[in-house]
Amino acid sequence: MRRLRWCAPALAAAALLAAGCGGSDNGGGSGSDSSKPIRIGASLPLTGDFSEPGKAAQQGYQVWQKMVNDQGGLLGRKVQVVVRDDASDQNTVVADYNALISRQKVDMLLGTFSSLLNLPASTVAERNRKLYVEPAGGAPEIFDRGYKHIFFAQQATADHQGDVFAQYILGLPPSERPKTAAYPSLDDPFALPVLQGLREKFEKAGIKTVYTTKYASENTNFDSIANAVKAANPDILMHGATFADGVNFVRALDKVGYKPKYFFQTSAPSFADQYSKGIGVENTEGTFYAVSWDAKAQTPGNAAFVKQFNQMFGAGEPAEDAADAFAAAQVMQAAVKAVGGIDDQTKLADWIRSHSVNTILGPLRWDKTGAPQGQFLIGQWQSGKSQIVLPKAAATSQTIVKKNAGA
Amino acid sequence: MTEFAQAIILGLLIGGVYALMASGLSLIFGVMNVINTAHGAFLILSAFLTYSIWTATGLDPLVAILITTPAMFGFGWLLYSGSIRRIREAPAAASVLLTFSLALVLEGLMGLIWGNTSHAVRPAYFNQSFTVGDLFLPKAQVYGCLVAIAVLVALWLFLARTWTGRAIRASAVNPQGARLVGVNVAAVATMTFAIGVATTGAGGSIVGVLYPFLPGSHYLWISRLLGIIVLGGMGSLPGAVVGALLIGVGESLTSTYISPQWTTAVPYVVIFLVLLGRPQGLLGARLREDVAAV
Repeated sequence: MRRLRWCAPALAAAALLAAGCGGSDNGGGSGSDSSKPIRIGASLPLTGDFSEPGKAAQQGYQVWQKMVNDQGGLLGRKVQVVVRDDASDQNTVVADYNALISRQKVDMLLGTFSSLLNLPASTVAERNRKLYVEPAGGAPEIFDRGYKHIFFAQQATADHQGDVFAQYILGLPPSERPKTAAYPSLDDPFALPVLQGLREKFEKAGIKTVYTTKYASENTNFDSIANAVKAANPDILMHGATFADGVNFVRALDKVGYKPKYFFQTSAPSFADQYSKGIGVENTEGTFYAVSWDAKAQTPGNAAFVKQFNQMFGAGEPAEDAADAFAAAQVMQAAVKAVGGIDDQTKLADWIRSHSVNTILGPLRWDKTGAPQGQFLIGQWQSGKSQIVLPKAAATSQTIVKKNAGA
Repeated sequence: MTEFAQAIILGLLIGGVYALMASGLSLIFGVMNVINTAHGAFLILSAFLTYSIWTATGLDPLVAILITTPAMFGFGWLLYSGSIRRIREAPAAASVLLTFSLALVLEGLMGLIWGNTSHAVRPAYFNQSFTVGDLFLPKAQVYGCLVAIAVLVALWLFLARTWTGRAIRASAVNPQGARLVGVNVAAVATMTFAIGVATTGAGGSIVGVLYPFLPGSHYLWISRLLGIIVLGGMGSLPGAVVGALLIGVGESLTSTYISPQWTTAVPYVVIFLVLLGRPQGLLGARLREDVAAV
């Protein structure tokens, strides 16, 4: 009886371990003994709301670890990424990074996924003067706190994610240019600034806002929002989404029978076949999205990353979040190599601030706040496949199609 | 007026589906005093089973209910016999801990089996609607609501018209009395838990059609379902139906007339206000210990 009473919690622990979460707690040292690996701690949302991108980010870190160790390690030492599961919870992520630093005594840190989690987690890193390169937290407020150790390893913060798309829309001939726009969005520190950035530019250029709303992340019912969008009848629809809400919203638009001329959605369309399977491949046509990475890009190391990823996790295109995590680790790696040590991590941060780093996303550079200073790629679904359409120099398709050509 | 009618229709349709999802949770609490926080995970497990059946055979997910329901019944029976039975006499808090750990185990196992990526079941009608005048009725919600009504009526007939059903109700109202008249309360508890889990067979199949899901989606559902049965009255099947319809309509009206941002908050404000006046919920019975506590 006593044994059985412990059965369920033990099974729970076993399943969590099997799912790859929970960090080891062996209290390894942080010294610079070259026989010991450099231990790099990260807390990721392996369970809960963000578990899907969290797992992808873990894969990205694992691929980086494997490739670096196969090439002889970093500063002559093996690297070991220690991952804890924050269950997509802001309190847990803070506890995790504190535990990684004070209890597990990792040498370095890598960031977590989402602006929501990176906001509090980066405070722990800053307080401990640890370099904190994060793969997915582009909310502008992350970078206006005067922190010295945080860097976002993508091309731009969220408010600039749609810049290239806005340039394209505003550059259309007057007859094709949309006159009205709608901006429904998830109430999220990443999704909202993307739409705010686009809205400012469009309103300034005379595109009238006919509908705007926010919804909570727990919302599952999008029929009412889709109905309101249909009633507003915008020429261009901009949707701030993560994943599930993005899929649900497109389904709801189909149910009310509404197809805008132009449709831009954040995040969700970059989830490759998960997106097309969620809404039906026939409903993807013409959808625009901003994306940080493309599997076919000719950036240095990209082909090797994809190959290693496929060797470790099977065939198929890696998720964008896996590539972003890999790039974050590349940025940290470049700084460590250049500085030649890990003891003074403020020096590492100073180096990153004053240099451009080549990653699989392309070259990245930052301002003094750690905000990146580049431009996102713009993707579009065409004939059931996601293509890069802007900027032209990086385009995999030279044509751009309308969501609803008849509108 | 059309806008109001549309909001009410959408609310009732989704409320019907919520009722089906919440019915098993309410039944299990009513008879066994077990707060099954794994109920959301059972729903997602059933959605994954539906997904596998749909991809392997092309069988309509609503027809697949005929397979998922008995499968979930058997799963519930085994689960009760293997674990829940051992905390039968423990306080309700123990059941919260045990079932939550079961939910975590299931989340991990589902991730291992199906992967931690989003899945969706898309029969031909998943994004189609019926049109009545200016109103639209999403086909998936209409079919889901009809299935929910059929299952709930069958459940009610079973509880009201069969000896086993009466034994379940007797065990819920007075376990000692039920024992005295020859009811095997332990066996009834097993049956009740299995039936409660079996309702997630239908509920999960419908969830799979209405929403994309992944192993971690159960957190989203369990909070909403617990809210529904608290509003309706813990353990009351009609209460679960009334609570579900109110939450569904409440969400829809809030989204239409206040803001989608408040969609998930307003129903819980309603629950809070109702509980101030009726701590036992809308249709819940006041227990002897509640009276003693006054």
